[in-house]
Amino acid sequence: MSGTQGGGSSEKKSFDERLSAARRRQGLEAPPPPPGGGPQGNALGVGLRVGVEMVSALVVAVAIGWWLDRWLHTKPFLLALFVLLGGAAGVANVWRLIAPARPPEKERGGRD
Amino acid sequence: MAAEAHTIDALGQFKLETALGPLGASVNFTQANLWMVIGGLLVLTMLYLGARPRAVVPGRLQALAEMSYDFVHSMCVDQIGEEGKRFFPFIFTLFFFVLMGNLLGLLPLNFFYTDHFGVGLAFTYTSHIAVTFSLAALVIVLVTIVALRIHGLHFFTYFFPAGAPKLLAPLIIPVEIISYLSRPVSLSIRLFANMVAGHVMFEVFASFIVMMAAAGTIGTVAAVGPLAVNVALMGFELLVAFLQAYVFAILTCIYLHDAVHLH
Amino acid sequence: MRPIARFATTGLAFTLLSSAAFAAEKKEGMPQLDFANPLTISQVVWLALIFIALYLLLSRWALPQVGAVLEMRAARIGEDLDVARTAKAGADKAVAELTAATRTAQASAQAEIAGAVAKAKQEAAAEAATLNARLDESLAAAEQRIGAARTAALGALRQVATDTATAVVARLTGAAPDAAAVDRAVGASLAARGQ
Repeated sequence: MSGTQGGGSSEKKSFDERLSAARRRQGLEAPPPPPGGGPQGNALGVGLRVGVEMVSALVVAVAIGWWLDRWLHTKPFLLALFVLLGGAAGVANVWRLIAPARPPEKERGGRD
Repeated sequence: MAAEAHTIDALGQFKLETALGPLGASVNFTQANLWMVIGGLLVLTMLYLGARPRAVVPGRLQALAEMSYDFVHSMCVDQIGEEGKRFFPFIFTLFFFVLMGNLLGLLPLNFFYTDHFGVGLAFTYTSHIAVTFSLAALVIVLVTIVALRIHGLHFFTYFFPAGAPKLLAPLIIPVEIISYLSRPVSLSIRLFANMVAGHVMFEVFASFIVMMAAAGTIGTVAAVGPLAVNVALMGFELLVAFLQAYVFAILTCIYLHDAVHLH
Repeated sequence: MRPIARFATTGLAFTLLSSAAFAAEKKEGMPQLDFANPLTISQVVWLALIFIALYLLLSRWALPQVGAVLEMRAARIGEDLDVARTAKAGADKAVAELTAATRTAQASAQAEIAGAVAKAKQEAAAEAATLNARLDESLAAAEQRIGAARTAALGALRQVATDTATAVVARLTGAAPDAAAVDRAVGASLAARGQ
């Protein structure tokens, strides 16, 4: 523990650096830069996710439309309407998936 | 047998059976549930044995347990923020439940059922849409409860972004609601489809091996082809197993982030 | 990261391929979608029970253990680092004290040397001054003595000159000259010679 006194200044400096680095690692000292990176970093299988997002939005929309039709006896109309809305929701899902990688173009920012 | 040899029964492997003999049959306990229990016990054992030495310099098992803990913990904190610590046990359970389902299904074991044709793989409970959808529904219910608890009725502004023109409300609100409800669907379909696809591929190529081997010496030699494919596929599926569990957990974290911070 | 993306894309291809396989298997249908089978629903009930049990066991029992170990290590390392830091600070302080002590010792030695030199110089100067004074004194005394002797000698010279003049005048004239006139003449003559 007791440092060998009379060590060169470079050795001393490196000890200081190492000590403060170790303290930073332990969270005892404030880390110098806040770690960046938003939610969901890389393009983690964007291809697969685009397909799944579109399909699942359509599935939900068709289910709602079909159920509403049966409930309100408006057989084909609400289903057709909700298929359109589902497509829009799918696009919105996909847009939200892609958007964080780019600066917000529209005013309507997704998350964050 | 002969009829089976000429058609590829790629889906038989997903058929549910009761496990644990008459006792399991009496309470409809399936082999899927048996593998859930096995997976859960494995995780618990790993953590228990890993935490027991309490060593400052960890051994292998302790390092594994601590790495698992740290991995999920930092995922929670990174994605959700400081509030993420509250959800850490849930995310951990979810991640390892899915991971175990994905991984254990890849074990070339046939201990518990012998019903289907081809390689005897252990049962992949994450290949059942009922299971993945239940998990995803649980996630979305939890997310909604969290959002309602933190933000109250203010939560419903989530379905109508502040800057949007009022005239578009009849369009935007249903779209946003559908988008919100599609989360559990996409979450469950993604996992389900990945698992099913992998296991169908295994089954298809394994069937090729058997069929070619049945066609004489040349066929037996040529069967090395699909065998090599299955070996490569196993490596790929190990990656997918981990990746899909990770995606499931991290999307849950992102949804929780949205619920905690609203947008 | 790129290989992961590529793998995922391949996964998509697999999904499409497998859906083609499902289409081929339409006659039997997917066991996953066979909701007529009571096991499809019962597995969900068991799933709920097992998941809840796993959650409770993990959150109440297993995870706190691992968390405690991690916390213990973090505390231990933090403590060690604190010890290292205080030791480092102590060492730095000791070094600083040492250099300060060395510096004051050097300074005091320097001051002492300077004082001694100054004192020696002062003493030497004082000695030289007394010596000078004594020399001046004796010089002055000698001069005084020389002056007295000269004055005495000059006085004797006048007497001798007066006597000689009186004798010379008495011999030449036979009559003793006026003493006052001789004295005057001798005085004038001496004065003319510079004395």
